Formats: sequence, structure tokens, C-alpha cells
Amino acid sequence: MTEARLLPEADLMLVNALADGELDAPSAAALERRMADEPALRQSYDAIVATREALGRLERPAMDAGFLDRIGSVVGAFGPDAASARRPSRWKADWRALAASVLVAVLVAGSGGYWLGTNTMSQQNIADLVASSHRRSLLAASPVDIASSSRHTVKPWLDSRIGISPPAPDLAAKGFVLVGGRVDVIGGHAVPTLVYRHNEHLITVVAEPAGAAISGPRDSQTDGYNMVNWSGNGFDYWAVSDLERPELDGFVARYIAASGAGKNDQSSSTIAQ
Amino acid sequence: MPHLKDALAFARWLTGSRDDAEDVVQEACLRAYASIGGGTVLRPRAWLLAIVRNAAFTWMAKNRPKWLLASGDGTEMDRLAETGEASFTDLLTRTPEAELIRKADMAAVREAVAALPVRLREVLILREFNDLSYRDIADVLAVPIGTVMSRLSRARLLLAASLAEGCRD
Repeated sequence: MTEARLLPEADLMLVNALADGELDAPSAAALERRMADEPALRQSYDAIVATREALGRLERPAMDAGFLDRIGSVVGAFGPDAASARRPSRWKADWRALAASVLVAVLVAGSGGYWLGTNTMSQQNIADLVASSHRRSLLAASPVDIASSSRHTVKPWLDSRIGISPPAPDLAAKGFVLVGGRVDVIGGHAVPTLVYRHNEHLITVVAEPAGAAISGPRDSQTDGYNMVNWSGNGFDYWAVSDLERPELDGFVARYIAASGAGKNDQSSSTIAQ
Repeated sequence: MPHLKDALAFARWLTGSRDDAEDVVQEACLRAYASIGGGTVLRPRAWLLAIVRNAAFTWMAKNRPKWLLASGDGTEMDRLAETGEASFTDLLTRTPEAELIRKADMAAVREAVAALPVRLREVLILREFNDLSYRDIADVLAVPIGTVMSRLSRARLLLAASLAEGCRD
């Protein structure tokens, strides 16, 4: 200990912020100038740095195999025989599927900060919601919030509304004209939706942000509407229409081909035509 | 598994026990699931650490009733952690010397961290062991940044004093 008195708390906080790299450049420069003149400031700074160094010498708790086994057995992420983990799981088997979706959801969130609810909704729930949203849009004055046949208009509009937009390829030459886009709410989440027209039939394409999985297309039918579900480009897609099955499948095939669904680039706005 | 290691480190230093930390993190994963229901998680690391923190407090209160007492909850030291407590500076009238702090061995450092009041300790852990910014720490603890800065500076001052004192003996 030396004879230097403690600094006022405000100064102490400033010196800490400097040590933590939390000061902007002008404030840091000003404080360093003061430190040159005031030994008490300099001494506090040195003490903080020394304390941080002392903490830095401590070992970091490692995630040992036992713990990973335990979490692994809980989330089922380390193989089917994970039940033989060294530490018995305190969770019932029922919880495993739930826990697995937690970690999957946390991973998804870590990679992009997107919402986490989709893992908890069944595919059938989503299909029902997508179908009813399609039906509502047919009853509404306009099926779209932004009417434009240009993806250069629709994508920026969706981006500005909810910060995300799926590929919106121009398929007019194939007989599918882009009508526009809207924001649907599926399971409490705002999702980007595109609307295409084929003859007098509308096709709703709902694109839910998802992980990197690529799958589908899978055909289904809900409420009398034909539906197709597939994944790629970082989205889970649902196409719904009263089009005949072969025509809807044809649309989906062209959409996938034109949007490069083999890639996983959610932010991709360059679309192969 | 991003964030799992952070969760474990935070729980480890908060509870002071490896086994308790693992139980707490497991419990936190369960809670994380329950709270996912809907909504956006924009800062997943801060979000998960906040859940770990809550899980740690309830788990320890239930299973280690002495922990809260030992952690200084409700004691004089814990009140000192709150901002605006003028008598704090009475405890430390001099700035500890860096040379003395550097002599502290690892066991002494570990003990000094464990002895910090929990309100100060959690801020220090998030900063030093989880490497969170002030902004993120404020998010995890749901307190203003000014409170984070005040608690962090007090935590380091107490730590520095206790390390320097230990080396003089």
C-alpha cells in the first residue's frame, strides 16, 4: 500500500473502462494525458491491470468429456447410445427431444439471431397457418401489400419491413408472374411472403427463416389447397395454391431452379435467372 | 456448441463448484427451452447467460442454502455493492500496489474471487471470464451500464486489496 488516496469513484470507473477498452479514442487519449500528470490515476490503472493479469492466470473451466456426455445424453446429439453417459441424466427421456430443440435453436440463434419458435411448431400446424393465410389473402382487397412484378421492388420492401427477404426470381417467361409481396404472421412471427400468378390462379410462397438444411420438395394438401414444402437458401418454404398439382409442382421446380436452392445463403440477393 | 462453454464458465465461478455448475447449466438449458415459445433472441449469448444466472440463484437457494449467505447476499458487503454507498470507500483508503498484486498465487486469486459479494462477483466473472462488453453485462444483469461500471470497479478494488493484503502477510 502507498500513501496515495483512493480516487473519486467516477475517476475509478473511467480508469476501469480504459483498461477494458470501453472508452472511445478521444476519451482514452484525454485520460492518458491525465494519468501522466496524476500518479494516483496511474497507480489505480496499474492495479487494475495487475488484477486482470492475476485473473488471466487462472485456469479456465474446461468442458470435460463427462459434462459433454451428460449434455449429449440429454440432447441426444452424441449418438443413440448416449444414455450410457458416465453421469446419469436426471431428465426423463421425454425431455430429450425438447432439450435437443433447445440446443438446435440456440445454435440457430447464435448463427444469425433469428427467432427460435419454429422448432416447436409441428409441420402440420405451419401448413394449416400457411393455408389459412393464403385463403385470407384471396378474400382481401389485395393479396399483396406491395404490388410489383419486379423483384427489385419487392425484395427491398420486405427487407425494409422485416429485415429479411427470400429470393424472388422472375418467372414470367415460364408463365408465373410475380404479383408482389406481403408480410404474414405465422405462429406469432412475421414472415416474408411472395405471391405469383399463373393464369387466374394465385400462388402464395411463404418463406420462414430456417437453418442450413436442404430438403424436399414434399407435396401435401391442406384445406383443399395443394401445398409444397421444401428447404434451402436458409429458408423453409411453403407454396400453396388452388392450382392443379402438376402445375404447382412445376412452379416449385422452376422457383427452386431459379433461386439456387442448393446454396445456403440467406442474404443472397443475386438470383440465377 | 457455442455459448455452452460460456454458460459453464459463468456458472462455475458463480457457484464456486464444478458439479453445481453442471447441474445449473443443465437446468438452464431446460429453462431456455421453456422460454423459447416464441419471440426473437437478438443477443443469444447474453440471453443464455441471463438464464444461467437465474437458474444458478434458484438452484443454489434450493440445494445450497448456505451459498447465498457465504456469497454475501443481504450482508454488509452486498449492500456495499449497490451504487451510491459512500461508506464503501471507508473500507479501502489506499490504492493497492500493482507489485503486491502480481505476487499473489493462483489459489489466493481463486479464493479472493470466491470471497467477493455475489453482486460484485457476477459482474467480474462476466467481464473477465466470459469477456463480455459492458453493454452485454448490463443486458445479462438487466441493470444500467453505470451500475455495471460501478460494481466492476468496486469488485476489482476489493480483489486488488485482498490480493495485496494477502501478500503482505
